[in-house]
Amino acid sequence: MRFLLATIVTLSLALPAAADPVRLVDQALSRHVLPGFAMLTERTSELASAAAADCKPDSISLRKTYGAAFDAWLGVSHLRFGPTEVDSRGFALAFWPDPRSKTSKALRQLIQVEDPIILSAQDFATLSVAARGFYAMERMLYDPAIQATGTDEYRCQLTVAIARDIALTSALIEDDWNTNYAPLLIAAGPGNATYATPREAVKELFKALTGGLQFTAELRLGRPLGTFDRPRPKRAEARLSERSLRNAVLSVKANGNLAKILAEEHPNIDVALAQAVELIEVQARDLDPIFAMVSTPSDRIKVEIFQQSINEVRAIIGGELGPALQVAQGFNALDGD
Amino acid sequence: MASRRQFLGSLLAAGFAPSLTWADARSPSFLSAAKRRDGSFHLVGLDEAGRELFVLPLPGRGHAACAHPVRPEAVTFARRPGTFAIVLDCARGETIAVLASPKDRHFYGHGVFSRDGSLLFTTENAYQLGEGRIGIWDARRGYQRVGELSSGGVGPHDIRRLPGTDTLVVANGGIDTHPETGREKLNLPTMRSNLTYLSGDGSVLEQAELREEYRLSSIRHLAVSKDGLVAFACQWQGSLGAAPMLQGIHRLGTDLRLIHLPSDAGSLQGYAGSIAVSENGQMVGVTFPRANRYALWRSGGADLGELHQLNDACGIAASSAGFAVTSGSGQILDHSIQSRRELRKTDFVWDNHLVRMAV
Repeated sequence: MRFLLATIVTLSLALPAAADPVRLVDQALSRHVLPGFAMLTERTSELASAAAADCKPDSISLRKTYGAAFDAWLGVSHLRFGPTEVDSRGFALAFWPDPRSKTSKALRQLIQVEDPIILSAQDFATLSVAARGFYAMERMLYDPAIQATGTDEYRCQLTVAIARDIALTSALIEDDWNTNYAPLLIAAGPGNATYATPREAVKELFKALTGGLQFTAELRLGRPLGTFDRPRPKRAEARLSERSLRNAVLSVKANGNLAKILAEEHPNIDVALAQAVELIEVQARDLDPIFAMVSTPSDRIKVEIFQQSINEVRAIIGGELGPALQVAQGFNALDGD
Repeated sequence: MASRRQFLGSLLAAGFAPSLTWADARSPSFLSAAKRRDGSFHLVGLDEAGRELFVLPLPGRGHAACAHPVRPEAVTFARRPGTFAIVLDCARGETIAVLASPKDRHFYGHGVFSRDGSLLFTTENAYQLGEGRIGIWDARRGYQRVGELSSGGVGPHDIRRLPGTDTLVVANGGIDTHPETGREKLNLPTMRSNLTYLSGDGSVLEQAELREEYRLSSIRHLAVSKDGLVAFACQWQGSLGAAPMLQGIHRLGTDLRLIHLPSDAGSLQGYAGSIAVSENGQMVGVTFPRANRYALWRSGGADLGELHQLNDACGIAASSAGFAVTSGSGQILDHSIQSRRELRKTDFVWDNHLVRMAV
């Protein structure tokens, strides 16, 4: 074993110089991760206050703070490791995709029996994640079928409960980041059971980046696109609140922001990424907010091109940034099965 | 009117073909799916020294293969969530059947034959219901589908048969997915993995679950010794910092035992790729491709013991002296208790699983 360890040390010394991983992690935390989660706590707390003040589904302040809080979530939704994975917090904020319509079913069930579990924040947090988070809130605010179920009074209480739970969950994630996980990432190295080297901490951020863009390309775009013969516009994310396109763009921008930090010492990659992300924003101006265009052959092509442009960003990240950061993964390591 | 050729063809299909055995396919010791540097995919038969005995083309990336106990037929499954599997005649190099998963089902990538080779069992997802199924196919009649069983859980992945019996053991990984959403995990907040033993008629003989604190461990891959010891390897779905253990052993009628990592193991990324048990059941080998390591440990021991380095290590199987290990970077190693040596450095990118042929 001693012999093997010696080999590993020799190998790592022989590798060409790459960006200082400790600095990259520090930059990603201070410029991207921690401000992103602080913003989420702030916006979700405003959402909870707005719901408590006026819980009617057409309340302007409620809808506005909901939109701002959802925007803040898209700034960090790709950071699915560490604090978001404790107690399923990430899923409790964002349960989508939902191919079996579990969110509607769970909400309907609560409303029909007027389940008092929603009155206590602690009890509410034990409910199925399908009944919690931004997608449940969207149903409460924008789904006519939910609004035709049960009494106004109970639905109002449920709206308040969901908003309060979103704020509490967000605060827990932020606190966990500040107290535990940011120090853990920074302290990557010998003796750190999670990240044995600073490079492994960079790899975690890199995986969040590739995973986040994959989610947007394959699910946010792929689900409504369906196939040419069978487009599936109703599968678009957050269609009721008409946020489908917005969510895709915001998520690409958030990932672009993280990619820029990681590409800091590779100006060519940085420029290529900036151009690719900008192209996506330009193309988005020609698209409708809920990807309804996927059903008309002449317009569908624009959505397909938009998806390809996201895949182009992924190609730069996977093909250039990954090797430059020395975090590329093997054939089997990537398989996930 | 049928031509002479068609008439002969139908006779062959009806079972008049001379019956071949694995000896006619040069008696491979191992099977593995692999990718060539040119991007083409193959099923490869290997001998004990890691030399290729046959290389048969596959239409896409395979996951695991399973071998018929007598005839030189291997079933290879498309990767999850695949909807087809191919049965290859490894002696003639021909595709003899293509299995299409029925409506509202897809394959998970593993299968096993019944003791006499008459039936093939495949792990499947009844995805509209979010429930696991074991598909049954008649290997005597052109691999027609003849029925299905409940797998006893969600997300059945690996499946094995206890040697000398028709008892099946299934790794229900616990993770609910739907082909509409690819490999997106739909039930992590409630997932629960288990090992389920099924008798030939589908009744559940026994189920073993991990304790609540290990609820996010997905039991994914299995290996069985000649005397029925089942070793399992897991993939952790929670935070990496909390990844507690990745493997364990179980025997029908006894308690499940977890094998812990040595304290200096470092991070294994919560992810085991494959597992194998030695012929005598005394040693277990497990690979960790994300950590570029593998471990061999005594099945009676309490922890994993020593870890060995191999870039993208994934396939592992019992060999005559110890274990054969394959990697995504082309290596085939033989690791016996005393020594480790590279058998071959090949042009193949070896895929997840190295399958040991019955000896």
